Amino acid sequence: MVLEATMICIDNSEWMRNGDYSPNRFQAQADAVNLICGAKTQSNPENTVGVLTMAGKGVRVLVTPTSDLGKILACMHGLEIGGEMNLAAGIQVAQLALKHRQNKKQQQRIIVFAGSPIKHDKKLLEMIGRKLKKNSVALDIVNFGDEDEGKPEKLEALLAAVNNNDTSHIVHVPPGPNALSDVLISTPIFTGDGEGGSGFAAAAAAAAAGGVSGFDLGVDPNLDPELALALRVSMEEERARQEAAAKKAAEEAAKQDKGGEQQPSSQDATMTEGASGSASEADNKKDDIMDDENALLQQALAMSMDDTTSGHDMRDTDMSEATADDPDLALALQLSVQDSDKDSSGQTDMSKLLADQSFVSSIIASLPGVDPNDPSVKDLLASMQNQSQKKDEDKGPNEEEKQ
Amino acid sequence: MSAESANAIQRNQVDLSDFIDWSGVECLNQSATHSLANALKQGYREDDGLLLESDADEQLLIYIPFTQVVKLYALVVKGPEEEGPKTVKLFSNREHMGFSNVNDFPPSDTAILSEDNLKGMPIVLKYVKFQNVRSLTIFIEDNQSGSDITKVQKIALHGTTVETTDMKGLKKVEDH
Repeated sequence: MVLEATMICIDNSEWMRNGDYSPNRFQAQADAVNLICGAKTQSNPENTVGVLTMAGKGVRVLVTPTSDLGKILACMHGLEIGGEMNLAAGIQVAQLALKHRQNKKQQQRIIVFAGSPIKHDKKLLEMIGRKLKKNSVALDIVNFGDEDEGKPEKLEALLAAVNNNDTSHIVHVPPGPNALSDVLISTPIFTGDGEGGSGFAAAAAAAAAGGVSGFDLGVDPNLDPELALALRVSMEEERARQEAAAKKAAEEAAKQDKGGEQQPSSQDATMTEGASGSASEADNKKDDIMDDENALLQQALAMSMDDTTSGHDMRDTDMSEATADDPDLALALQLSVQDSDKDSSGQTDMSKLLADQSFVSSIIASLPGVDPNDPSVKDLLASMQNQSQKKDEDKGPNEEEKQ
Repeated sequence: MSAESANAIQRNQVDLSDFIDWSGVECLNQSATHSLANALKQGYREDDGLLLESDADEQLLIYIPFTQVVKLYALVVKGPEEEGPKTVKLFSNREHMGFSNVNDFPPSDTAILSEDNLKGMPIVLKYVKFQNVRSLTIFIEDNQSGSDITKVQKIALHGTTVETTDMKGLKKVEDH
């Protein structure tokens, strides 16, 4: 929220008839002026903007600094092109207009559009620049159009003389398909210093950025969304493949460092099962289990993956990559992991049930041809319950009495 | 002037920094890194390492509005021997001057600073010219050595406030 009074110096010299900026230099400039006026008046309700022309029959102030946007925009209509630009006079008149601003708390800023050759010598411009700096006036320069007679150097020198604490800026806009105003939108001239500018400016900049980035693949996504999507998907797949390959290489290197003592850590079940086996066996088991869990994922990946998925490790890394890119896959993986969790919890439930003496004996009693009072069966039950031996013996006689 | 300076700060003259309207203080041609606060604000100005420096050339234009009408009696300007200010022009109640119109008005008072002044000896002003001061403009025209950068360590204003004295008088009448 910089409180500012701005004077915009328009170049309306004969050079503005040139059509190298669409539709012509003058119209492009007028659009840019409108945009800047909007941004300045929106960023702070007390900001004022004035406009003057530097060519024609001499410097002419069209509007003294005002916050009335309509007034500013109206003055741009019916401007006549003619004569040569007088930059030095323009800047000094602008400074005078700013000096007599009504609200003295406003910072002073001059924005100069320079689209025609500059006939002043560098020294004069530097002198004017120092004068502006002394009076704490900031200066933004939009350099477009002719580049002859060392114009950029002159403008840079002018800016260097003015610039105090990086409040002044220069933008060189080469001719091209982009509108002048579109180029300015992302520059500090438009967004203001540091604080990201007004919401209006930010929104406009974001819109412009979004519009431009869509053309990355050389296809307008608005014209052919399916083609654009296909291109994007194929780009992402290729990127994932490359990343997976890089990851595989890194992982193999890490494995060689660690040797064979890599322990499975993801699943409790594999931990218990693989504890007795060798380390390599445990690895294999882990992979197998992963295969079971991610059967769905395999299926999904098979469509987009080529032959490189043959290795287990490769597949694993691919999956993690894929989950990073594809939310659906991530969801599928999550679900399968949850399933395996349920399985392991089911196992623990089973062992709990076996620990329950009455339940086991009732099951055994219901089995045909099995005598629950048979000593061998009793021994078996006793061996199963290594934790509650006493309980087992207490219940044994009870059951004998029942039988 | 030097004879007067010896007994400068007396007769219940107070430091006027309490009556400065800080939101309206302005300084033209100050360097961004060495701003006016370094010379004018209490605490900062006592530190000789913190300076007010000019930027593009040696001139400085300082505008100080007050929160109430004051009578200005004396001015203290401290600075280094070489780059310290030399010619100082004071304007009372001239709002928003620029460097371009600084010569358009006759200054209320002009002081040529001596070495003693730069070390902290107060400059006693033409008291009659500063009886009804709402704002003060200090124009530092050049410095001692004629170099491009002017440095100021401290600026202090001494005087009395008009309203405060009146208020005290009124209260005493009410007490009786």
